[in-house]
Amino acid sequence: MSFLASPQLWAGTLSLAVPLALPALGGTFSERTGVVNIAMEGIMLIGAFFAAACSHWTGSAWLGLLAAMVAGALIAWVFAWAAIRLAADQVVLGMAINIFGAGITAFLLNTIFGYNGTPTSTPSLPNITIPAIANVPVLGWFFHQQSVLVYVMLALVIAAHYFLFHTRLGLRMRAVGENPLAADTLGLNVWRLRYTGVIIGGVLSAIGGAYLSIGILNSFDVNMTNGRGYIALAAMIFGKWTPYGAFGAAMLFAFATSLADVLQGNVIPTDLLSMLPYALTVLALAGLVGRSTAPAADGIPYTLER
Amino acid sequence: MSTRKWAVGLGAMVALSTLVVGCGAATNNTAGGTKTANGTGGNPSATTFKVGLVTDTGGLNDHSFNHLAYVGLQKAESQLGVKGEVVQSQAASDYVPELTRFAQNGDNLVIAVGFLMQQAVEQVSKEYPNTKFLIIDDPITDRPNVVSAIFDTQQCGYLVGAMAGLMQKQHGIKGINGQNVLGVIGGQNIPPVTSYIAGFYQGAQKVDPGVKIILNYANSFTDQATGQQLAKDEIAKGADIIFPVAGGTGTGSINAAKAAGVYAIGVDANQNYLAPQTVITSALKAVDTATYDVIKEAQQGKFKSGVQTFDLSNNGVGIAPPTSTVPQSIVQQVNQLATQIKSGAITVSPNIPTGK
Repeated sequence: MSFLASPQLWAGTLSLAVPLALPALGGTFSERTGVVNIAMEGIMLIGAFFAAACSHWTGSAWLGLLAAMVAGALIAWVFAWAAIRLAADQVVLGMAINIFGAGITAFLLNTIFGYNGTPTSTPSLPNITIPAIANVPVLGWFFHQQSVLVYVMLALVIAAHYFLFHTRLGLRMRAVGENPLAADTLGLNVWRLRYTGVIIGGVLSAIGGAYLSIGILNSFDVNMTNGRGYIALAAMIFGKWTPYGAFGAAMLFAFATSLADVLQGNVIPTDLLSMLPYALTVLALAGLVGRSTAPAADGIPYTLER
Repeated sequence: MSTRKWAVGLGAMVALSTLVVGCGAATNNTAGGTKTANGTGGNPSATTFKVGLVTDTGGLNDHSFNHLAYVGLQKAESQLGVKGEVVQSQAASDYVPELTRFAQNGDNLVIAVGFLMQQAVEQVSKEYPNTKFLIIDDPITDRPNVVSAIFDTQQCGYLVGAMAGLMQKQHGIKGINGQNVLGVIGGQNIPPVTSYIAGFYQGAQKVDPGVKIILNYANSFTDQATGQQLAKDEIAKGADIIFPVAGGTGTGSINAAKAAGVYAIGVDANQNYLAPQTVITSALKAVDTATYDVIKEAQQGKFKSGVQTFDLSNNGVGIAPPTSTVPQSIVQQVNQLATQIKSGAITVSPNIPTGK
């Protein structure tokens, strides 16, 4: 079991958890307000592309991150408009956004940058090391050479928990996800709260995408999310639609992936190891964690016969 | 309720626009191709020679062999006046339909890029016996209308392996740690990947029998984040030269090597441009030359079915000029090994030595 003492295993776990935890958190926001969101994959890709492109154009990775957030908010706004205002089927819509995201980013990449991809001079977000953390035994392993977005992700998880469960707006958002009619009767604007949830979700997913393109790398590649948006979806459900749960699930999946990486070259066949995170996903969702109950009004459009 | 109808309409629009985007990319390629073809104004038979190219799921952005096949096609368009069309496969299930589409369109030569398309080519080439096919990396021998381009990449793998083995023994080169460890990252455990790796092992062990080589598979040719993570693992275990054989996944590995201040070796194409200080050389596989040559032969009616082997002696594989980081004495030793391989004094096995 000496591999458990490998700092790389734990640094890898935290690093790989970011592109799962952020979209899972985003999905949590959206579904807590009652809009089923499976569009994380597509939004991540759009975020990743605009992060890399704007980082290159402006020469500042921070502006790239900002661009990703704006792009994520915009596409989420379109999604919200169709899902809320037009009461479209949210699963179909989410799938459409995913396919659209994959297509549009590949198209833009090849049209704007050509087949050699984004320029290698594209700046990326800095790695930071906080000495006070890095020197703590065990804990320091996690934080070895991590992107600044790792810290942002941790802060966002805590902030999201506080926001959803300890603020008035958070309570209202959860209320429209459980019983929109009651909330409406009490004078809450159901649609506006749902828009807010979906758009926050889009911004978070887009930051998750930006982490892939300018957080750990400095380039965008076609389909570079590789299905992480869907694993995030599982993490959200596994985490029972709570920020801490989503983070914990993301860490577990990331640990499985990182473990598969570290254990390679030992006796266990590679193919079996790379199955690990997905097998874990199935097991987790098959009930190992007990019942996960979605918000009561999740996926049901709220329309008033006015 | 009118909003319902609206919603259905919107859904359809989104779906349609996605399709349009997909087609847009494809037509874009064709348009570019036609323009260059017209520019040369070749003989009438040349302008009607149509070539269809189907990439595997790695796509044209792989910085590697799909890209090279496209470069070969572009060269054929401008120099031979053929009309090229490209389609990028999004999934393995696209292979048969895309190959069939080109064959049905009356393309004279259909190029399938990659080992992963073997079955698709076997199937479609049987259904369209009058269409010529080229498959890269996979030996299909029993079809009169299929030519297979096979690259002895174990030979160039051997040379970069020897270079890496000699480099990691050097003292006083920044980033070389003296731990006798090299790192290799494979895309998938398939022959076109493992032949490179097999050569790398043999070359490195030839010059340093005590060298330790860490091998990991990413199981993806497109996942940069995994490529980066695996490289970080290997660097943490002491590797100071990383050799990714993993298409787009490898660009993440090169990125990790750059960030850690160690070295990397590129694959397929000269990947030095990805990180000029980091990528000391590249193991080259002249997919572009092979593609161009086969197009030329087919156009001139000299199509030969069966396996065409590309190796060091016909410049089908090779190594990119090393950067100035590599001492001249090492470059000379590697060149000597190349001569010995060409003369047959050294034979390189395409299989990874057992016990690894």
